Amino acid sequence: MKRTSGAASVKSSTTSGGTPARKTPVRRPPASRPTSDKAAEAPESTATDSKPIQKPRTVTRKPAERPKPAEKPRSVEKPRSVEKSGPVEKPKSTEVVLSIEGLVKRFGDTVAVAGIDLSVTAGSFYGLVGPNGAGKTTTLSMVTGLLRPDAGKVIVHGVDVWGEPVVAKRSMGVLPDRLRLFDRLTGAQLLYYAGTLRGLDADTVRDRTVDLASAFGFEDALNRLVTDYSAGMSKKIALAAAMIHSPRLLVLDEPFESVDPVSAANITELLRKYVEAGGTVIVSSHSMDLIQRICDHVAVVVHGAILDSGTMNEVCKGNTLEERFVELAGGRTSAEGMEWLNSFSD
Amino acid sequence: MVEQLLRLKLRLMGNAFKRSPWQLVGLILAVVYGLGIAIVVISSLLGLRFVGVPVAASAVTVFGGLLVLGFIVVPIVFGVDDTMDPRKFSLFGLPTSELATALAITALVGVPSLVVALIALAQIVTWSRGPLPVLLAILGAPVILATCILCSRVCTSIAAFLLSSRRSRDLTGMLGIVLLILVLPVFVLLLNANWQRDGLSILGGIAAVVGWTPLGAVWAAPSDAAAGLIGQALLKELIALVFVGLLWVVWRYLVQMMLVTQERAATARNYRGLGFFRLGVTGPSAVIADRGFTYWVRDSRYHVSLLAIPVIPFILMIPLLVIGVPPHVLALLPVPVMALFLGWSIHNDLAYDSTAIWLHVASGTRGFADRFGRVIPPLVVGVPLLVIASLICAPLYGKESYLPVFVGVGFGILLTGLGLSSVMSARFPYPAVRPGDSPFAAPQAVGSASAVIQGFSFVVTFILASPTIYLAYLTVFKSAPLGGLTLASGVVLGGLLLWTGVTWGGHIFDRRSPEILAFSVRN
Repeated sequence: MKRTSGAASVKSSTTSGGTPARKTPVRRPPASRPTSDKAAEAPESTATDSKPIQKPRTVTRKPAERPKPAEKPRSVEKPRSVEKSGPVEKPKSTEVVLSIEGLVKRFGDTVAVAGIDLSVTAGSFYGLVGPNGAGKTTTLSMVTGLLRPDAGKVIVHGVDVWGEPVVAKRSMGVLPDRLRLFDRLTGAQLLYYAGTLRGLDADTVRDRTVDLASAFGFEDALNRLVTDYSAGMSKKIALAAAMIHSPRLLVLDEPFESVDPVSAANITELLRKYVEAGGTVIVSSHSMDLIQRICDHVAVVVHGAILDSGTMNEVCKGNTLEERFVELAGGRTSAEGMEWLNSFSD
Repeated sequence: MVEQLLRLKLRLMGNAFKRSPWQLVGLILAVVYGLGIAIVVISSLLGLRFVGVPVAASAVTVFGGLLVLGFIVVPIVFGVDDTMDPRKFSLFGLPTSELATALAITALVGVPSLVVALIALAQIVTWSRGPLPVLLAILGAPVILATCILCSRVCTSIAAFLLSSRRSRDLTGMLGIVLLILVLPVFVLLLNANWQRDGLSILGGIAAVVGWTPLGAVWAAPSDAAAGLIGQALLKELIALVFVGLLWVVWRYLVQMMLVTQERAATARNYRGLGFFRLGVTGPSAVIADRGFTYWVRDSRYHVSLLAIPVIPFILMIPLLVIGVPPHVLALLPVPVMALFLGWSIHNDLAYDSTAIWLHVASGTRGFADRFGRVIPPLVVGVPLLVIASLICAPLYGKESYLPVFVGVGFGILLTGLGLSSVMSARFPYPAVRPGDSPFAAPQAVGSASAVIQGFSFVVTFILASPTIYLAYLTVFKSAPLGGLTLASGVVLGGLLLWTGVTWGGHIFDRRSPEILAFSVRN
């Protein structure tokens, strides 16, 4: 999966300013990609992985020794669906919506993010997985313009987030983790507030509020104060606020945490449709199952570095994401020396 | 268990210092302040040893009652952050009585307990005038300490437990203000009394009542014994002991209940429609202003500062009246003072938003729009308020023709203050009470920065508005015919400064918004 030629091409292209010319022959506007990603990617891993498959594995175990942890393999996807015997397969768009280069953030002596490179093409549903404290939230905060990086570059839709923040932020919808909302507003007021700050007019916001409320299932909570919401409800309203201006890129930090399964399924469905229509989603989570189920691309973040990234099949290599993750992160300890736990005290 | 919990408490305190050196500075300040109070009180108590029994009795009883009252009121109104909340131990399966005892004993560690212990010892000296008074005072010392600590434990728990829902917390904030306003006339009465002549009898009257209440009984018992009223003394000592016993029972019951009770769920209320947002003007500044208004109505932190604004001038008037300033001159006071505080009210507005400010940062809201939106609510409220206040105060001063002077000074100070606040809140936010906390609660991080910034904002507002103030001074005190000019100066100069402040503050916000967010995440 680490196709070295691909990595090189990405580098050259990203330096040329964000919406680069791919080596891919066909570039299409995002909306013209009706095919399911998973179906499209399935053959690719088998076709291209045979040789390099061992190499990244051994290297990725020690993130510190890898100068460029994620050589963006998946941004250089070939027009992949060709080999697949699907009837309506079309080449995937390779327009890079988000590209991250050498992102670094330190808090005092601790390095939270140690040089992350990543590039995300339009129409991907990208998962960021990693253990607690891996630097997922820090990375996403720097992507969305909420946290100033110590080094590195973030390009969203061709615009440097830290050079022209106002322009770059327009095309992003953001759900941060563990930040407050203006919780003395009612749900409807909060959505109105978020929508208007994003430049929507009053009527549009009202219409979209109704749509979002029924899609997320909080119609009856719209007139209650956000401070009285449960954790899951707050998450949903914040998610709705992130989408209200129909951004090109959704950056969602732990969007499903404490959200009930039914709502989570609805939201997933909604996000899938959004991706099918050419939107791009990045979600972070430490729930491997969830990410494997809903995402078509994934990056594994451990200790502030990307250990592996690519399409789901490239990264998983036939295992579940969880197995692959544990293998990469190497954090499993056997339960030796804990026998006392099995001899109950009463 | 007592030993373990004591160690836990010390460890918790120790770790708090590790978090930031300011915590240590805070503790040192608290210790110095507490010891200062203790030294003053103790030396007074020692001095009272050589004063006649009635005087000493009144002084000790009234002071003691106030002290105990403080241990009741402070936790409820101000909301103490309880590190040793009984609920935190609910999963350990500890016996209730033992836990209640241990928690009460750990409460002995702390500056307030130390101060009370010293005072309780000092009152023994005051009553070292015969065997029975001394005996009662010695017996009283531990009772005093127990009363204070149990009062504070019980009230802290009640505040954390029964008053834990958001709505009741908001209510306690309001309650605090109402109390403050109610207490005010009492202070006025006390201030107006002729202390030289009636002081002792007033104090004696209060002491006679307080001495029979559980708050003052333990302090009054030795004095009665010293005065020879032995039956009365024993009865009061009994009242005090029964009170401690009752407190213990209540405390134990609270612990028992808190261990097994779920946190009260707030009953949510429905609001109709979009409220202020319905006004229909869109654009970032307009909705930010709408949000400001909404928060003024719904957030108790804003209630406190807004309700304080009309009250402050009167509080300032009291000492001036007492030192004999003629009442009609005092009519000059309300307009500029209210303008000053209104302008100052938003000088830390960003910190009040806490981390919710991310929405402005992530949506790329322009700094100018943010600053301007926040200035609108105080302007919309302040302008009519100052005009009305001027219409009232000018006749009270006795010169209706000074109306332009009043309005000019008011507007000048308000606009200048808002302009300065727009810069200060973007550049120098300091930790504020977090959303949902009691408005009287101290912010988590202790720092001297806040005091410096507050003082600086006040002084600089005055300096920037000084041309207008000087014109008003010439008009009022030197009879120069400059009323119109004062008004013009207030509006034009103030408006100019407001515009400058909003623009400059906006630039700062644009440049520093991630740092502002990082700051609010830290606090």
